[in-house]
Amino acid sequence: MVEHNEHAALLAQSVGDYVQHGSNLPRVRALAQTRAEFDRAQWQQLADFGWLGVLVPESCGGLGLGLAEATIVAEGLGRALTPEPYTAVAVLSARLLEGLPEGALRDDLLSGIASGQRLPLAAWQEQPDDFGGLQQTCRAVPFEGGFRIRGEKRFVAGAAAADGFIVSADSAQGLALLWVPRDAAGCELKLQVLADGRSYGALALDDVVVPRGHLLVAGDTARAALDRAIDHAAVTASAELVGVMKRAHEMSLDYMKTRVQFGKPIGSFQALQHRAVDLHIQQALADAVLRDVVRQLDPATDAAVRALAASRAKSRCGDAALAITRAAIQFHGAIGFTEDCDVGLYVKRALTLATWLGNGRAHRARYARLSAQASQREAA
Amino acid sequence: MNTDWNALSDEAFRAEARKFFEGEFPEQYKFLPRRMRWAECRDWYLKLSARGWLAPNWPVEHGGMGLSPTKLLIYFEETERAGVGRMPDQGITMVGPTLIRFGNDAQRSHFLPKILAGDAIWCQGYSEPNSGSDLASLRTEAVPDGDDYVINGSKIWTSMAHDATHIYVLARTDKAAKKKQEGISFFLVDMKTPGITLRTIRNIAGHEEFCQVFFDNVRTPKANLVGELHKGWTIAKGLLGFERLNIGSPRRPLFAFEKLELLAQARGLFADPAFVERFTQLKLDLADLGSLYGHFVDMARRGEAMGPDVSMLKVWSMDTYQKLSELLLEAAGEYAPVEGEVDFGGTAIDVLSPFYNSRPGTIYGGSNEIQRNIIAKYVLNLPS
Repeated sequence: MVEHNEHAALLAQSVGDYVQHGSNLPRVRALAQTRAEFDRAQWQQLADFGWLGVLVPESCGGLGLGLAEATIVAEGLGRALTPEPYTAVAVLSARLLEGLPEGALRDDLLSGIASGQRLPLAAWQEQPDDFGGLQQTCRAVPFEGGFRIRGEKRFVAGAAAADGFIVSADSAQGLALLWVPRDAAGCELKLQVLADGRSYGALALDDVVVPRGHLLVAGDTARAALDRAIDHAAVTASAELVGVMKRAHEMSLDYMKTRVQFGKPIGSFQALQHRAVDLHIQQALADAVLRDVVRQLDPATDAAVRALAASRAKSRCGDAALAITRAAIQFHGAIGFTEDCDVGLYVKRALTLATWLGNGRAHRARYARLSAQASQREAA
Repeated sequence: MNTDWNALSDEAFRAEARKFFEGEFPEQYKFLPRRMRWAECRDWYLKLSARGWLAPNWPVEHGGMGLSPTKLLIYFEETERAGVGRMPDQGITMVGPTLIRFGNDAQRSHFLPKILAGDAIWCQGYSEPNSGSDLASLRTEAVPDGDDYVINGSKIWTSMAHDATHIYVLARTDKAAKKKQEGISFFLVDMKTPGITLRTIRNIAGHEEFCQVFFDNVRTPKANLVGELHKGWTIAKGLLGFERLNIGSPRRPLFAFEKLELLAQARGLFADPAFVERFTQLKLDLADLGSLYGHFVDMARRGEAMGPDVSMLKVWSMDTYQKLSELLLEAAGEYAPVEGEVDFGGTAIDVLSPFYNSRPGTIYGGSNEIQRNIIAKYVLNLPS
């Protein structure tokens, strides 16, 4: 525990330094303009800090730490508006792979994540408001030499820089997870540009053929690992959102202290003060929930408890970030509506992060469904 | 008596609390729509005391349970689940923590055991007829005379003063002070002291829960001054911190939530997606209040003074309480204005009283608007 806290404290310090010195909004703007969302040198730096390997086991060159540490990194990157797909690669993919049986391909991908050399992305989702790819039509059919995969995948965050996908597909053995290199024949990647300049990958898999060795796992293990990875990624995205909302609200408060109208700083007006306070309360709730949920979740947390906790975090943090960033436009007045004003960058990132892996409404619906199931179990 | 409750697993502690509250709290007072009078709750108070369960928030060395935030939440959840009534509990929630933090050894060793024994029941002498939100403008006065202070003035909205044996009073001791917050002192006063009279005031729900208290040359010994002379505002604020922590606990909204869930089950409202969406939002608002509350309870356990940010807890808790009480009325349909318990297919629920009981929550302990002013000024550092 002591060791764990030391790790967390050191990490928090280095993340703090990064945010203070490495935060670079002109770079964020430039990447958003070019839709690149990715800067190889920056990614390598994150790898060199060890941050990409936070969840990667030590045997694969990572730090073998937990969600507590991953969320510290994510909050800092959210605050700095770092566009590189940290949560998609270093949490969603890493957690997914880490939950699979050891094997040459799995270990190689995990090492690649930690070193920054590989960007495998999980392509599991087909429909909006889905959790765990339950509405799946993608199929993997075995043949002598391997598998033939047919289907479509959506909402693959970070896909612009991907070098391959961990594709979920129905198979004779249940849910299968297969490695599909980006350049595989029949694999077509389209990018849907998002508000914040990043993109979702839409993947069309038209009888893509992969060798037998590309089957990472099939059956219950695949299902359990995928569900866990999605929940942990939702919590990490919540941490990014906390970083985004804190910085955005600071900007609003700074502006309210300096902008003068009617001969007084606008922050002296009670109508604006009370609005700022209500948003501050949303921020404090988001922060408290995130911390509670991270404390509650470890790799072995019961799936039902974990899902409730993840939905609690994502719904509060997503909606709070949206409310705070939207209000930041209003607090800034007309200037807040201009492209040059940095407030817009936070609004757009909040919009992307709050909806990826389920928005507030979807998570509340899931929370309601899961709690009803839990009370039925309790009654029975 | 010296069980380390924090060493139990959460499940084991919950089972223990559930068995105790459900089994031992008197049936006839369960889910009472108003605060309990002392005559009604005395036996229960003493039973809690004998078991060491009266002061879940106090440190163990002072006779409390010293519960961790998680365990304290479980304690509250189980009291609300079992319908345990609200006692005159200011000694436990306010005076105890204040004396532990600001009092001297003599005051602690005199008053804390009296509170635990049920020999000192406290009420709060803060608001005055002309000093509500602007509390620091108070005019009740205390003048030194020999070994005593002599108090004159009047306090109002004093909850359960008619059941109290003691009152803690903010009084002006230096009228020449430059700022109105300076020159106020904090006194402990025995309600039996000659010169104290009171009248009860009926509230909107028809219950006599608060009073006006009059002080006519009331003498209290100098030993009953808490902290330094003229520095009572600091203590008052510290106590308000504990009050906001107490009001900000999820227990009152939980009371309304329990009823809402029962009513929704009885009326089949969980089949209505529009209801489920609003219900779930409030359920999460309440769950997230628990997380925020835990953060402040942790601070209190470490012995830290409550900062101005504890006001957030009060705002959110009472706003959530009101929203739950409003959804409860809406869920009741035409039954909403019916007084007393209504039978919903075998489940008897009083839908109206949470509506009444949640109204003053955004007024007392500093109105929610005042809390927002405090946060704006002292937490967000916005200009005035």
